[in-house]
Amino acid sequence: MFNWEAVFDVIDAGVIGIDDRYNVVCWNEWIAKGTELSAAAVLGRNLFDVFDGLGKTRLKTAVADAFQYGSSSVLTHSLNKLFPFRNETGQEVIHNVIVRPLPADPIKHCILQITDVSVSVARERVLRDRQNARYHAIVDSAPDAIITTSPDRTIQWFNAAAERTFAMSVDALREQRIDTLLTGPENLTEILAAHDMKGAASGTAVQVHGTKRDGVSAYFEVSFAGWNADGRRFITTIWRDVTERVAAENALYAAREALRKSNEELEQRVIERTNEREVVLRQLHESQKMETIGQLTGGVAHDFNNLLAVILGSLSLLRKGLPPDPRTSRLLDGAIQGAERGATLTKRLLAFARRQELKLEAVEVQKLIPEMHDFLRQTIGPAISVVLDIPSDIPPVKIDANQLELALMNLAVNSRDAMPNGGTLTISCRTETTEMKAPPGLPQSDYIRINVADTGEGMNDATLAKAMEPFFTTKGIGKGTGLGLSMVHGLTAQCGGTMTISSSVGRGTTVSLWLPAANAGDLMAALTPQAPQASLQNGRRLRILLVDDDYLVRANTALMMSDLGHTVIEASSGKSALEILQLDNRIQLVVTDYLMPGMNGLDLAKAIRGVTPKLPIILSTGYADIRSPLDMVFPRLPKPYTQDELAKILDAAVK
Amino acid sequence: MTIESADGLTEVEEDALAEIANLGVSRAANSLRQMLGEQVFLAVPKVQIVDRQTASALVGRGSHSSKLVAVQQSFDGPFAGKALLIFPEAQSLELVRTIVGEQHSLEDVIDLEQEALAETGNIILNACLATIANLLRRPMHMSLPAVIRGSGETLFGGPGAKDNLVLFLYIDFRTKARDIQGFIALLMDLPSITALKTIVTDYIRNVELGTDQAAR
Repeated sequence: MFNWEAVFDVIDAGVIGIDDRYNVVCWNEWIAKGTELSAAAVLGRNLFDVFDGLGKTRLKTAVADAFQYGSSSVLTHSLNKLFPFRNETGQEVIHNVIVRPLPADPIKHCILQITDVSVSVARERVLRDRQNARYHAIVDSAPDAIITTSPDRTIQWFNAAAERTFAMSVDALREQRIDTLLTGPENLTEILAAHDMKGAASGTAVQVHGTKRDGVSAYFEVSFAGWNADGRRFITTIWRDVTERVAAENALYAAREALRKSNEELEQRVIERTNEREVVLRQLHESQKMETIGQLTGGVAHDFNNLLAVILGSLSLLRKGLPPDPRTSRLLDGAIQGAERGATLTKRLLAFARRQELKLEAVEVQKLIPEMHDFLRQTIGPAISVVLDIPSDIPPVKIDANQLELALMNLAVNSRDAMPNGGTLTISCRTETTEMKAPPGLPQSDYIRINVADTGEGMNDATLAKAMEPFFTTKGIGKGTGLGLSMVHGLTAQCGGTMTISSSVGRGTTVSLWLPAANAGDLMAALTPQAPQASLQNGRRLRILLVDDDYLVRANTALMMSDLGHTVIEASSGKSALEILQLDNRIQLVVTDYLMPGMNGLDLAKAIRGVTPKLPIILSTGYADIRSPLDMVFPRLPKPYTQDELAKILDAAVK
Repeated sequence: MTIESADGLTEVEEDALAEIANLGVSRAANSLRQMLGEQVFLAVPKVQIVDRQTASALVGRGSHSSKLVAVQQSFDGPFAGKALLIFPEAQSLELVRTIVGEQHSLEDVIDLEQEALAETGNIILNACLATIANLLRRPMHMSLPAVIRGSGETLFGGPGAKDNLVLFLYIDFRTKARDIQGFIALLMDLPSITALKTIVTDYIRNVELGTDQAAR
């Protein structure tokens, strides 16, 4: 027979049996030990009388339900304090109680099973402490301050880094509003509330400004996330010190700003340079245009001049050959005058084209200009007063004196026309060096600047830009040739200077002639008179070698010479002229055109000079391209010429 | 909500059943109050009989996650099946916190959760089953409580008994600090449903006779 009672006594749990009047019917060894009450002492007694207060616990209800409804109940240490158990060392035994009815209808008995859970509770506590230790180690070793806030945004909890960062004691920090950590204008409470309400994703960060320990101000990047506990909303904030990063960003921003500014400046400079370049290009274009016009004009004028020479020559021969008849003479005179006016025009054109024949010498403007004064007065009329401002120590300029006079007259006339209601014409002279604000393109040298200024109506920019172009005129048809300023410009350029114009509408115009100062050599040349060439008798019949590539001109000139009684041998080139000279040693005079294909007139003259130094030579030309020192050696016959002019120069050459 | 089940209850029956359930949970509230020394309100605002799939869907609905915690007890006798008290997992911790009191730290609550939950579930389920047993005037065999975690399918899936029906009660658990919603589910076979209907019919008749059967 199995001993059930022995089983009750050996199992490692308390077992109490009670009947439906709650009297103890069973009390095992385990429970006897734990309560220090033997079975004999309790059997038959009401369980709730054995222990004070036990009847006030839920155990009584659980037992009642077990008997009445068959309920099984669990009463755990977590919610109940039931039996006053002690273990051998006197410590309280943590226990759970299970109440179970023994199956019967109606239920007669109920078993209370008591288990010691001290060990498992202790184990859980140790585990939890370890877990907490790990958790605290992680949180407190975090370099960033971690602070959690209650729903009212007061500080509820914080880690060691928060204490370190803000140097606040535990008591000072707890229950403070989180905004007390800030010094900037940010309202973290509102920011957190707004983000939390929007359900912003975890890790959303805002940048705020606060004060660290020792009053050091710092930027923090605060990331946060909300969580719920006990039905309340908490927010964990993590504060990262980003002061250095913000400083670096600011530095980067400043550097970018500086770069942007310097880029802008660079751009500005590029624009300026581009503008300067455009100005220079425009000037270059202008000067190239003038150059081209000059060449074209010079070429046309040259050929036209040759034709005029033919016409004038033929007309003068014709007048001689025809019987005197008033009607015919009038016609002839008209023709000759027309041709002469044509010659004047070509001369002006050549001046503009810088190809006029210039007699460059040292000219003292302080003498030349006052000498013109009366003539100027007459020309410009009484309504305009003339002011001369010429220092007496102005050095002489290198120029053709006649052409300078002509140029000044031209400018004076322009000024007069610009001042129909009167005004003042001022002619002034100043010594300038290129170090001063000389116009571009002038080589480094000393210059005399002659200003011709009026108080007239002035020119607008468009007019000013075209003022120096030939045939450009603002005067009415028939009043001006449009060659005045272009001639003056050509003259200054040919002398090695330049001309500038400044003008503003309503305030007048100033034309400045920049002329090179004469050097010692020029002064000498001016002082040395030309030596006479030959000593042939006036009115002699001469044997003349005439060299010209233009058949018309040559034939006409030959006719004029023959008519003067000379013997003319014609040659069409320098080469054939030299051949003729070799064969014919009776030739007394050579007249040669300057501009010829192959050997030009000057080269021919030099070649002849090499063979027969005493043979007189006349250069016939409409050009002034002969610039070498030799050009003074040979007499000139400027085209076109009349028979009288030809006769004079022929006589002069052989005198 | 109207009853969709084939074993549908009339409106009167439904009201009666809710009244019976409220008798049960108010017993449980008494036990808890005795234990905690604090006023605890338990109420069943709604009762339904549904199939297991519907029950599974109902407990999963509206909670933050599909993770649920349930205290389960089986019962046997003239009326057999399984009883479950179900809460969303997050709410269960709140429930324990409410029961064990504010003096415990969160860590303590976590330690105590399993046992405290088992006991609380045990109290509530016992009270409900006791009420039924009382109406049947017969004790039942009830098992000890077990804590189960999982989804609705885990709780209501189980092998066999596919056509078992579920008496589904919504339960409000309220103290002065908290308000927690959960469910009580009784999984029953057909004879138990029949027995339940008998109980309801008797209850209605007794009420009509003016006899308060619910009083103890």
